Amino acid sequence: MRPTLLIVDDHAGFRALARRLLGSGGFDVVGEAADGRAAVTAARELRPDVVLLDIQLPDIDGFEVLARLRDGSVGPAVVLTSTRDRADYGERVDSSGASGFVPKAELSGAAVLAVIGSGWMG
Amino acid sequence: MRWLRPALALAALAAGLVNLTLIARAGDAQPRSLLYLVIAIVGVSWSFVAVGLVAWSRRPDNHTGALMVAVGLAYALPGLRLVHSPAGYTLYLLTATLPSAVLAHLIAVFPDGRATSRLQRVFIVANYATTVPLAFAQLLLVDPRRLRCPECPPDLLGTGGQHPFGEAVMAVSDLWDVVLAGLLLWIVVSRWRRAPAPRRRGLAPVVQVAVVLLVLFGVRQALRAVLSPPPPWLDGALDLAVLTTLMLWPLAFLAGLARSRLDRLAVGDLAIELEQAPSPDRLQQALARALHDPTVQLAYWLPGQQAFVDEAARPVELPPAGGGRSVTILRHDGDTVAALVHDAALDDEPELVQAVAATARLTIENQRLQAEVRAQLEEVRASRARIVEFGDAERRRVERNLHDGAQQRLVNLSLALGIARSQVPAGADGELAAALDEAAEELRLAIAELRELARGIYPVILSEAGLGPALASLAERSPIPATVAAAPADRLPAKIEETAYYVASEALANAAKHARATAVTISARRCDRGLEVEVGDDGVGGANPDGSGLRGLADRVAALDGHLRVDSPTGRGTRITAELPCGS
Repeated sequence: MRPTLLIVDDHAGFRALARRLLGSGGFDVVGEAADGRAAVTAARELRPDVVLLDIQLPDIDGFEVLARLRDGSVGPAVVLTSTRDRADYGERVDSSGASGFVPKAELSGAAVLAVIGSGWMG
Repeated sequence: MRWLRPALALAALAAGLVNLTLIARAGDAQPRSLLYLVIAIVGVSWSFVAVGLVAWSRRPDNHTGALMVAVGLAYALPGLRLVHSPAGYTLYLLTATLPSAVLAHLIAVFPDGRATSRLQRVFIVANYATTVPLAFAQLLLVDPRRLRCPECPPDLLGTGGQHPFGEAVMAVSDLWDVVLAGLLLWIVVSRWRRAPAPRRRGLAPVVQVAVVLLVLFGVRQALRAVLSPPPPWLDGALDLAVLTTLMLWPLAFLAGLARSRLDRLAVGDLAIELEQAPSPDRLQQALARALHDPTVQLAYWLPGQQAFVDEAARPVELPPAGGGRSVTILRHDGDTVAALVHDAALDDEPELVQAVAATARLTIENQRLQAEVRAQLEEVRASRARIVEFGDAERRRVERNLHDGAQQRLVNLSLALGIARSQVPAGADGELAAALDEAAEELRLAIAELRELARGIYPVILSEAGLGPALASLAERSPIPATVAAAPADRLPAKIEETAYYVASEALANAAKHARATAVTISARRCDRGLEVEVGDDGVGGANPDGSGLRGLADRVAALDGHLRVDSPTGRGTRITAELPCGS
């Protein structure tokens, strides 16, 4: 069974490309969200295995979304992404509890799988 | 009514002369009684009228002078008892309590000349409403010969005999006088206790005399009520004491005025003090001393801002009228120079305030100019800080736009290329695959360059993670080995973090570009004033502090009220230190 995945990003163009890339890269893309609050709601409803989460969102940022997801019973693997470098966020990515970080320009099914590792099914 | 005051003076003089003639004719009266009349009529009446007229002309808006004249004229009335006719004597008896009633009114409202409290108003009404009717009741019920004047003629209204209530009415009247005296004493003392320092100076002589007078009067009336009548020697002595003290009241008033005049002489001391070009603080203290008002505050007028400011160019709100504080505007050639905010009590001394203001005018004008310069400097400093803040905000905006716009589009393009590349079947046209790979590589470089450009415009890590991680990232990306020796663990105000970061960034760039350094150490430490950022390298030294990079950095640091030091001896490395106050 392919792992289910939720894409969270405020750029529709990026979401469409990511859906195609990850869909053909071994994931079952079950939903999309364009901002932080919608992401939290969608994650609770869809219970995806993985959330691809952009850090810069129009309402609450990706770190806050992650914290809210961790507060609830939903425990998907979260992969943070950004057009910026991981280093631009200092220690925040490491301390956020995310499974890892994939720069947007390097996004692929393989990159996401490498980050969540073999234990993605929990 | 310019004739009113001379007319009143003439009336008092005439009444006094008539009284003196009557006294001279009443040669058969007792010597004590004559002395009493001379003091009452000449000592009290004339002195009150004379001093009252002085006070009146000095402060026509204050009723104190007019009330003093009224007291003086009222004290001419007892002369009526010397007119040996029942009609004159009856009139005397009817008006016998008027002098003390008007006097009580004067004491109750001194020095304002009008009632300012509810207690004062109640007292004045009770005073007039009771003393005159009580006098009338006595007239009806008591044998005039019992009224300390065995030789007086009978009055017109009297029953001629001893009415059974007569004694009681006299006792009630005397006791009521004691109550009124006590109430008046309370008014005088409580007003004294509330009075601010400058007002107390002028009030002191009058208040002291009033207290003695009221105590003596109260004791006399109490003895009359209790002993009815007291021994003539005791009553006479108290009578004399009351009248003598009363005669001192106008003199005490003059003494209060004289004090103010003497205060004006003290303006000379102020002139000497101002010779030494005092600081704004010292000037304020000198003004407070000269005006005997420790609360004096000087506010300088800034025509440019249309506002009053203090010596540190902070805005000063002038107090509204009637709040116990008064404002005297100081002008030169019709232009407002400053405002003197002082106790409202000094409104009684406009000459003193003007004399002090005139003496201090040059110094005040000088300090006004200094305050103006300080205000302009403050404005320049604030506008420089605003320019820096605006610049930083613009940098953040541009970085954000790049991130959301061009960077995002290039990233999308890169992903689309990746998808296209994955569609090329293995073993198909090798040229297409190679071209797509080439395009993807070019794109990767373009994205990396754009990211570096965006980071140079504004380092997002600074707002995301704070100064420590930002400096660490700066050191990591430095072309020469750099270490961060110290960085604050907590967050600081954004403008401090930004300035500290740019200091480190510029110093690092200089070390790499010009200093031929092999190692750089960055440290940012909390200090007493705020934050101290130090960047040292082991390069060739000789950095020019007036070069455009360092000059701009110094300006930026100065905009936060900070200081930048460049220590760069030739051959011994460069050390750039910025002190950034966190309070600004």
